[in-house]
Amino acid sequence: MSRYDIAVIGTGPAGLEAALTAKARNKSVLLIGSAELSPKVAKAHMIRNYLGLPNVSGGEMQAAFLRQMEAAGIKITDERVKNVYAMGDYFVLQTGEIDSMLEAETLILATGLPLSRNLPGEDRFLGRGVSYCATCDGALYRGKRTAVIGYAPKEEDEADFLSELAAEVLYFPQYTGEVRTAPAVKVIPEKPVEILGGESARVLKTDGGEYEVDGIFILRDNIAPDKLVPGLELDGTRVKVTPQMETNIPGCFAAGDIAGPPYQYIKAAGQGNVAALAAVDYLAAKRKE
Amino acid sequence: MVNVIHEAEFGQVKACAAAVVDFSATWCGPCKMLAPVLEKISEEMKGKVDFFKADVDENPNLARQFAIQSIPALIFLKNGEEVGREIGFKPEAAVKSALQRVFD
Repeated sequence: MSRYDIAVIGTGPAGLEAALTAKARNKSVLLIGSAELSPKVAKAHMIRNYLGLPNVSGGEMQAAFLRQMEAAGIKITDERVKNVYAMGDYFVLQTGEIDSMLEAETLILATGLPLSRNLPGEDRFLGRGVSYCATCDGALYRGKRTAVIGYAPKEEDEADFLSELAAEVLYFPQYTGEVRTAPAVKVIPEKPVEILGGESARVLKTDGGEYEVDGIFILRDNIAPDKLVPGLELDGTRVKVTPQMETNIPGCFAAGDIAGPPYQYIKAAGQGNVAALAAVDYLAAKRKE
Repeated sequence: MVNVIHEAEFGQVKACAAAVVDFSATWCGPCKMLAPVLEKISEEMKGKVDFFKADVDENPNLARQFAIQSIPALIFLKNGEEVGREIGFKPEAAVKSALQRVFD
Protein backbone atom coordinates (compact mmCIF):
# COMPACT_ATOMS: atom_id res chain seq x y z
CA MET A 1 0.00 0.00 0.00
CA SER A 2 1.39 3.39 -0.95
CA ARG A 3 1.35 6.17 1.61
CA TYR A 4 0.15 9.60 0.45
CA ASP A 5 1.95 12.77 1.55
CA ILE A 6 -1.32 14.49 2.42
CA ALA A 7 -4.85 13.16 2.89
CA VAL A 8 -7.66 15.70 2.73
CA ILE A 9 -11.08 14.68 4.04
CA GLY A 10 -13.93 16.79 2.76
CA THR A 11 -14.82 18.32 -0.60
CA GLY A 12 -16.16 21.73 0.39
CA PRO A 13 -14.17 24.93 -0.31
CA ALA A 14 -11.65 24.19 2.50
CA GLY A 15 -10.86 20.65 1.33
CA LEU A 16 -10.71 21.55 -2.36
CA GLU A 17 -8.36 24.50 -1.78
CA ALA A 18 -6.15 22.37 0.49
CA ALA A 19 -5.87 19.71 -2.22
CA LEU A 20 -5.17 22.33 -4.89
CA THR A 21 -2.40 23.95 -2.82
CA ALA A 22 -0.85 20.61 -1.86
CA LYS A 23 -0.84 19.52 -5.51
CA ALA A 24 0.74 22.84 -6.55
CA ARG A 25 3.51 22.08 -4.04
CA ASN A 26 4.06 18.75 -5.75
CA LYS A 27 2.75 16.54 -2.95
CA SER A 28 0.85 13.31 -3.49
CA VAL A 29 -2.70 14.04 -2.41
CA LEU A 30 -5.61 11.83 -1.45
CA LEU A 31 -8.79 13.91 -1.64
CA ILE A 32 -11.63 11.94 -0.15
CA GLY A 33 -15.28 12.89 0.20
CA SER A 34 -18.40 13.29 -1.87
CA ALA A 35 -17.79 13.74 -5.63
CA GLU A 36 -20.93 15.89 -5.58
CA LEU A 37 -19.03 18.28 -3.30
CA SER A 38 -20.71 20.08 -0.44
CA PRO A 39 -24.52 19.87 -0.20
CA LYS A 40 -24.41 23.10 1.81
CA VAL A 41 -22.71 24.98 -1.05
CA ALA A 42 -25.03 23.39 -3.63
CA LYS A 43 -28.08 24.73 -1.80
CA ALA A 44 -26.76 28.30 -1.50
CA HIS A 45 -29.06 30.66 -3.39
CA MET A 46 -26.56 33.43 -4.09
CA ILE A 47 -23.00 34.06 -2.95
CA ARG A 48 -21.92 37.68 -3.17
CA ASN A 49 -18.59 37.91 -1.39
CA TYR A 50 -16.40 35.23 -2.96
CA LEU A 51 -13.45 36.95 -4.62
CA GLY A 52 -13.30 36.30 -8.37
CA LEU A 53 -16.74 34.68 -8.56
CA PRO A 54 -19.20 37.54 -8.11
CA ASN A 55 -22.91 36.84 -7.60
CA VAL A 56 -22.92 33.14 -8.32
CA SER A 57 -25.37 30.52 -7.16
CA GLY A 58 -24.07 27.58 -5.13
CA GLY A 59 -24.51 25.36 -8.18
CA GLU A 60 -22.44 27.65 -10.41
CA MET A 61 -19.76 27.88 -7.77
CA GLN A 62 -19.54 24.08 -7.51
CA ALA A 63 -19.27 23.80 -11.29
CA ALA A 64 -16.37 26.30 -11.25
CA PHE A 65 -14.69 24.33 -8.45
CA LEU A 66 -15.01 21.06 -10.37
CA ARG A 67 -13.55 22.57 -13.54
CA GLN A 68 -10.57 23.84 -11.58
CA MET A 69 -9.99 20.47 -9.88
CA GLU A 70 -10.15 18.72 -13.23
CA ALA A 71 -7.71 21.18 -14.79
CA ALA A 72 -5.31 20.59 -11.88
CA GLY A 73 -5.61 16.83 -12.35
CA ILE A 74 -7.03 16.21 -8.89
CA LYS A 75 -9.36 13.26 -8.53
CA ILE A 76 -11.94 12.90 -5.79
CA THR A 77 -12.07 9.52 -4.07
CA ASP A 78 -15.81 9.27 -3.51
CA GLU A 79 -15.94 7.40 -0.23
CA ARG A 80 -16.91 7.99 3.35
CA VAL A 81 -14.18 7.81 5.99
CA LYS A 82 -15.47 5.85 8.97
CA ASN A 83 -12.47 6.12 11.24
CA VAL A 84 -9.06 7.75 11.31
CA TYR A 85 -6.23 6.29 13.34
CA ALA A 86 -3.31 8.49 14.41
CA MET A 87 -0.45 5.99 14.37
CA GLY A 88 2.28 8.41 15.45
CA ASP A 89 4.09 9.41 12.28
CA TYR A 90 1.29 8.56 9.87
CA PHE A 91 -2.49 8.23 9.65
CA VAL A 92 -4.71 5.35 8.61
CA LEU A 93 -8.12 6.11 7.09
CA GLN A 94 -10.67 3.34 7.25
CA THR A 95 -13.35 3.66 4.59
CA GLY A 96 -15.24 0.41 4.96
CA GLU A 97 -14.46 -3.05 6.20
CA ILE A 98 -11.19 -4.01 7.83
CA ASP A 99 -9.30 -4.31 4.54
CA SER A 100 -10.19 -0.85 3.17
CA MET A 101 -7.44 1.18 4.76
CA LEU A 102 -5.63 4.13 3.21
CA GLU A 103 -2.47 5.70 4.59
CA ALA A 104 -1.10 9.23 4.60
CA GLU A 105 1.71 11.04 6.40
CA THR A 106 -0.38 14.11 7.14
CA LEU A 107 -4.09 14.73 7.42
CA ILE A 108 -6.26 17.76 6.74
CA LEU A 109 -9.79 17.62 8.18
CA ALA A 110 -12.28 19.69 6.22
CA THR A 111 -15.53 17.87 6.87
CA GLY A 112 -17.65 20.89 7.73
CA LEU A 113 -20.06 21.30 10.59
CA PRO A 114 -21.71 18.29 12.16
CA LEU A 115 -25.30 18.69 11.02
CA SER A 116 -27.22 16.93 13.73
CA ARG A 117 -26.80 17.14 17.45
CA ASN A 118 -26.11 14.18 19.66
CA LEU A 119 -29.03 12.46 21.34
CA PRO A 120 -29.24 12.78 25.11
CA GLY A 121 -27.46 9.72 26.51
CA GLU A 122 -25.47 9.10 23.30
CA ASP A 123 -22.07 10.17 24.64
CA ARG A 124 -22.58 8.45 27.98
CA PHE A 125 -23.38 5.08 26.40
CA LEU A 126 -20.96 5.20 23.45
CA GLY A 127 -19.14 1.87 23.59
CA ARG A 128 -21.62 0.72 26.22
CA GLY A 129 -24.44 -0.30 23.93
CA VAL A 130 -24.20 2.65 21.53
CA SER A 131 -22.14 2.24 18.36
CA TYR A 132 -21.54 4.24 15.19
CA CYS A 133 -20.61 1.31 12.96
CA ALA A 134 -22.73 -1.78 12.35
CA THR A 135 -20.06 -3.52 10.29
CA CYS A 136 -17.50 -2.92 13.11
CA ASP A 137 -19.45 -3.89 16.23
CA GLY A 138 -22.29 -5.92 14.71
CA ALA A 139 -20.73 -9.28 15.60
CA LEU A 140 -20.95 -8.39 19.31
CA TYR A 141 -24.74 -8.27 18.98
CA ARG A 142 -25.23 -11.76 17.58
CA GLY A 143 -28.64 -13.01 18.72
CA LYS A 144 -29.43 -9.69 20.42
CA ARG A 145 -32.12 -7.08 19.96
CA THR A 146 -30.85 -3.93 18.25
CA ALA A 147 -32.06 -0.54 17.07
CA VAL A 148 -30.57 1.28 14.07
CA ILE A 149 -31.08 5.01 13.62
CA GLY A 150 -30.33 5.87 10.01
CA TYR A 151 -29.92 9.45 8.81
CA ALA A 152 -29.63 8.58 5.09
CA PRO A 153 -31.04 5.85 2.80
CA LYS A 154 -27.59 4.26 2.41
CA GLU A 155 -27.73 3.17 6.06
CA GLU A 156 -30.39 0.65 5.06
CA ASP A 157 -27.53 -1.60 3.93
CA GLU A 158 -26.04 -1.50 7.43
CA ALA A 159 -29.43 -2.44 8.92
CA ASP A 160 -29.68 -5.33 6.45
CA PHE A 161 -26.16 -6.48 7.36
CA LEU A 162 -27.05 -6.39 11.05
CA SER A 163 -30.24 -8.36 10.48
CA GLU A 164 -28.10 -11.33 9.44
CA LEU A 165 -26.51 -11.40 12.92
CA ALA A 166 -28.91 -9.88 15.43
CA ALA A 167 -32.12 -11.51 16.64
CA GLU A 168 -34.05 -8.36 15.85
CA VAL A 169 -33.34 -5.10 14.05
CA LEU A 170 -35.60 -2.10 14.56
CA TYR A 171 -34.87 0.55 11.95
CA PHE A 172 -35.67 4.21 12.61
CA PRO A 173 -35.28 6.15 9.35
CA GLN A 174 -34.60 9.86 9.94
CA TYR A 175 -35.27 10.96 6.37
CA THR A 176 -38.23 11.18 4.04
CA GLY A 177 -38.85 8.88 1.11
CA GLU A 178 -39.22 5.18 0.62
CA VAL A 179 -37.42 2.79 2.96
CA ARG A 180 -36.18 -0.45 1.41
CA THR A 181 -34.77 -2.88 3.91
CA ALA A 182 -34.54 -6.65 4.20
CA PRO A 183 -37.75 -8.39 5.35
CA ALA A 184 -36.17 -9.17 8.74
CA VAL A 185 -35.74 -5.46 9.50
CA LYS A 186 -38.67 -3.84 11.27
CA VAL A 187 -39.09 -0.23 10.11
CA ILE A 188 -40.40 2.22 12.72
CA PRO A 189 -40.87 5.78 11.41
CA GLU A 190 -40.38 7.58 14.72
CA LYS A 191 -37.94 10.20 15.96
CA PRO A 192 -35.53 9.15 18.71
CA VAL A 193 -35.40 11.55 21.65
CA GLU A 194 -33.23 9.87 24.28
CA ILE A 195 -31.17 6.85 25.19
CA LEU A 196 -31.75 5.42 28.65
CA GLY A 197 -29.98 2.75 30.65
CA GLY A 198 -27.87 1.92 33.66
CA GLU A 199 -24.38 0.44 33.17
CA SER A 200 -25.18 0.20 29.48
CA ALA A 201 -27.85 1.44 27.10
CA ARG A 202 -31.14 -0.46 27.48
CA VAL A 203 -33.94 1.68 26.09
CA LEU A 204 -34.40 3.87 23.04
CA LYS A 205 -37.06 6.46 23.72
CA THR A 206 -38.79 8.00 20.69
CA ASP A 207 -41.62 10.43 20.12
CA GLY A 208 -43.83 7.38 19.72
CA GLY A 209 -42.77 5.00 22.47
CA GLU A 210 -39.96 3.19 24.28
CA TYR A 211 -38.01 0.27 22.86
CA GLU A 212 -36.01 -2.12 25.00
CA VAL A 213 -32.84 -3.13 23.14
CA ASP A 214 -29.32 -4.47 23.75
CA GLY A 215 -27.61 -2.18 21.28
CA ILE A 216 -28.28 1.08 19.44
CA PHE A 217 -26.49 1.94 16.20
CA ILE A 218 -26.50 5.61 15.26
CA LEU A 219 -25.52 6.10 11.62
CA ARG A 220 -24.93 9.69 10.52
CA ASP A 221 -23.14 11.16 7.56
CA ASN A 222 -21.15 13.54 9.64
CA ILE A 223 -19.94 12.31 13.01
CA ALA A 224 -18.30 14.51 15.64
CA PRO A 225 -14.63 15.23 14.76
CA ASP A 226 -13.29 13.65 17.96
CA LYS A 227 -15.22 10.46 17.17
CA LEU A 228 -13.84 10.40 13.63
CA VAL A 229 -10.29 11.00 14.87
CA PRO A 230 -9.93 9.63 18.42
CA GLY A 231 -7.62 11.80 20.51
CA LEU A 232 -8.49 15.03 18.69
CA GLU A 233 -8.97 18.00 20.99
CA LEU A 234 -12.09 20.13 20.61
CA ASP A 235 -13.05 23.58 21.83
CA GLY A 236 -16.79 23.20 22.30
CA THR A 237 -17.91 21.56 19.06
CA ARG A 238 -15.14 22.96 16.84
CA VAL A 239 -11.69 21.48 16.41
CA LYS A 240 -9.09 23.40 18.38
CA VAL A 241 -6.52 24.86 15.97
CA THR A 242 -3.53 27.19 15.97
CA PRO A 243 -3.29 30.07 13.45
CA GLN A 244 -1.39 27.57 11.25
CA MET A 245 -4.45 25.27 11.41
CA GLU A 246 -2.55 22.68 13.46
CA THR A 247 -4.59 20.45 15.79
CA ASN A 248 -3.29 18.86 19.00
CA ILE A 249 -2.24 15.77 16.99
CA PRO A 250 1.10 16.29 15.19
CA GLY A 251 0.62 16.13 11.43
CA CYS A 252 -3.14 16.66 11.65
CA PHE A 253 -4.63 19.96 10.50
CA ALA A 254 -8.19 21.27 10.26
CA ALA A 255 -9.78 23.90 7.99
CA GLY A 256 -13.15 25.41 7.22
CA ASP A 257 -16.34 25.24 9.26
CA ILE A 258 -14.97 22.36 11.35
CA ALA A 259 -12.44 24.85 12.79
CA GLY A 260 -15.16 27.27 13.89
CA PRO A 261 -16.91 30.46 12.76
CA PRO A 262 -17.24 32.61 10.74
CA TYR A 263 -18.91 30.13 8.38
CA GLN A 264 -17.87 31.74 5.13
CA TYR A 265 -16.78 30.04 1.89
CA ILE A 266 -13.85 32.38 1.29
CA LYS A 267 -12.59 31.90 4.85
CA ALA A 268 -12.88 28.12 4.47
CA ALA A 269 -10.85 28.21 1.25
CA GLY A 270 -8.25 30.45 2.91
CA GLN A 271 -7.88 28.08 5.83
CA GLY A 272 -7.56 25.15 3.42
CA ASN A 273 -4.66 26.96 1.81
CA VAL A 274 -2.98 27.63 5.19
CA ALA A 275 -3.50 24.03 6.33
CA ALA A 276 -1.94 22.63 3.14
CA LEU A 277 1.11 24.88 3.43
CA ALA A 278 1.50 23.95 7.10
CA ALA A 279 1.32 20.27 6.13
CA VAL A 280 4.00 20.87 3.47
CA ASP A 281 6.24 22.50 6.11
CA TYR A 282 5.57 19.65 8.52
CA LEU A 283 6.61 17.10 5.89
CA ALA A 284 9.78 19.04 5.07
CA ALA A 285 10.77 19.26 8.75
CA LYS A 286 10.07 15.56 9.27
CA ARG A 287 12.15 14.48 6.29
CA LYS A 288 15.09 16.58 7.47
CA GLU A 289 15.24 14.64 10.74
CA MET B 1 5.20 -7.63 24.86
CA VAL B 2 1.46 -8.28 24.76
CA ASN B 3 0.65 -11.86 25.77
CA VAL B 4 -2.27 -13.64 24.14
CA ILE B 5 -4.47 -15.02 26.89
CA HIS B 6 -7.24 -17.61 26.94
CA GLU B 7 -10.07 -17.51 29.45
CA ALA B 8 -8.94 -20.75 31.10
CA GLU B 9 -5.65 -19.07 32.05
CA PHE B 10 -7.16 -15.85 33.34
CA GLY B 11 -5.86 -16.53 36.88
CA GLN B 12 -2.48 -15.50 35.50
CA VAL B 13 -3.83 -12.01 34.80
CA LYS B 14 -5.51 -11.76 38.20
CA ALA B 15 -2.19 -12.51 39.87
CA CYS B 16 -0.57 -9.41 38.33
CA ALA B 17 -0.24 -6.30 40.48
CA ALA B 18 -0.97 -4.15 37.42
CA ALA B 19 -2.40 -5.50 34.19
CA VAL B 20 -4.05 -4.36 30.97
CA VAL B 21 -6.28 -6.69 28.97
CA ASP B 22 -7.03 -5.76 25.38
CA PHE B 23 -10.34 -7.31 24.28
CA SER B 24 -10.30 -7.47 20.50
CA ALA B 25 -11.11 -9.55 17.41
CA THR B 26 -9.56 -10.36 14.06
CA TRP B 27 -12.42 -8.67 12.15
CA CYS B 28 -12.17 -5.37 14.00
CA GLY B 29 -10.34 -2.50 12.28
CA PRO B 30 -9.69 -0.29 15.31
CA CYS B 31 -8.32 -3.36 17.17
CA LYS B 32 -5.85 -4.00 14.39
CA MET B 33 -4.66 -0.39 14.59
CA LEU B 34 -4.43 -0.35 18.38
CA ALA B 35 -2.31 -3.53 18.53
CA PRO B 36 1.04 -1.95 17.46
CA VAL B 37 0.41 1.01 19.79
CA LEU B 38 -0.05 -1.34 22.75
CA GLU B 39 2.94 -3.43 21.73
CA LYS B 40 5.10 -0.30 21.86
CA ILE B 41 3.72 0.92 25.19
CA SER B 42 4.08 -2.55 26.74
CA GLU B 43 7.81 -2.45 26.00
CA GLU B 44 8.12 0.98 27.61
CA MET B 45 6.21 -0.14 30.72
CA LYS B 46 7.96 -3.49 31.05
CA GLY B 47 8.23 -4.61 34.67
CA LYS B 48 5.58 -2.14 35.74
CA VAL B 49 2.41 -3.20 33.93
CA ASP B 50 1.71 -6.56 32.25
CA PHE B 51 -0.18 -6.52 28.94
CA PHE B 52 -2.56 -9.20 27.68
CA LYS B 53 -4.80 -9.66 24.66
CA ALA B 54 -8.04 -11.66 24.63
CA ASP B 55 -9.96 -12.48 21.45
CA VAL B 56 -13.69 -11.98 22.14
CA ASP B 57 -14.70 -14.76 19.72
CA GLU B 58 -12.41 -17.29 21.38
CA ASN B 59 -13.23 -16.12 24.90
CA PRO B 60 -16.98 -15.43 24.97
CA ASN B 61 -17.33 -16.14 28.71
CA LEU B 62 -14.57 -13.73 29.62
CA ALA B 63 -16.06 -11.07 27.34
CA ARG B 64 -19.44 -11.57 29.00
CA GLN B 65 -17.88 -11.43 32.47
CA PHE B 66 -16.42 -8.01 31.65
CA ALA B 67 -19.60 -6.91 29.79
CA ILE B 68 -17.68 -6.10 26.60
CA GLN B 69 -20.02 -4.34 24.13
CA SER B 70 -17.60 -2.53 21.90
CA ILE B 71 -14.05 -3.35 20.91
CA PRO B 72 -11.22 -2.70 21.27
CA ALA B 73 -11.79 -2.41 25.01
CA LEU B 74 -8.84 -2.00 27.35
CA ILE B 75 -9.52 -3.20 30.89
CA PHE B 76 -7.15 -1.99 33.60
CA LEU B 77 -6.72 -4.31 36.59
CA LYS B 78 -4.98 -3.94 39.92
CA ASN B 79 -4.51 -7.27 41.71
CA GLY B 80 -7.28 -8.77 39.59
CA GLU B 81 -9.79 -6.00 40.27
CA GLU B 82 -10.97 -3.74 37.45
CA VAL B 83 -9.95 -0.15 38.14
CA GLY B 84 -10.80 1.40 34.79
CA ARG B 85 -11.45 0.86 31.11
CA GLU B 86 -10.92 2.63 27.80
CA ILE B 87 -13.05 1.88 24.77
CA GLY B 88 -12.08 2.31 21.13
CA PHE B 89 -8.86 3.22 19.37
CA LYS B 90 -6.75 5.91 21.03
CA PRO B 91 -3.44 7.36 19.87
CA GLU B 92 -0.31 6.48 21.85
CA ALA B 93 -0.30 9.68 23.95
CA ALA B 94 -3.94 9.16 24.99
CA VAL B 95 -3.42 5.51 25.97
CA LYS B 96 -0.36 6.48 27.99
CA SER B 97 -2.13 9.23 29.89
CA ALA B 98 -5.03 6.85 30.66
CA LEU B 99 -2.53 4.33 32.01
CA GLN B 100 -0.80 6.97 34.10
CA ARG B 101 -4.09 8.08 35.62
CA VAL B 102 -4.79 4.54 36.79
CA PHE B 103 -1.39 3.13 37.66
CA ASP B 104 0.75 6.07 38.80
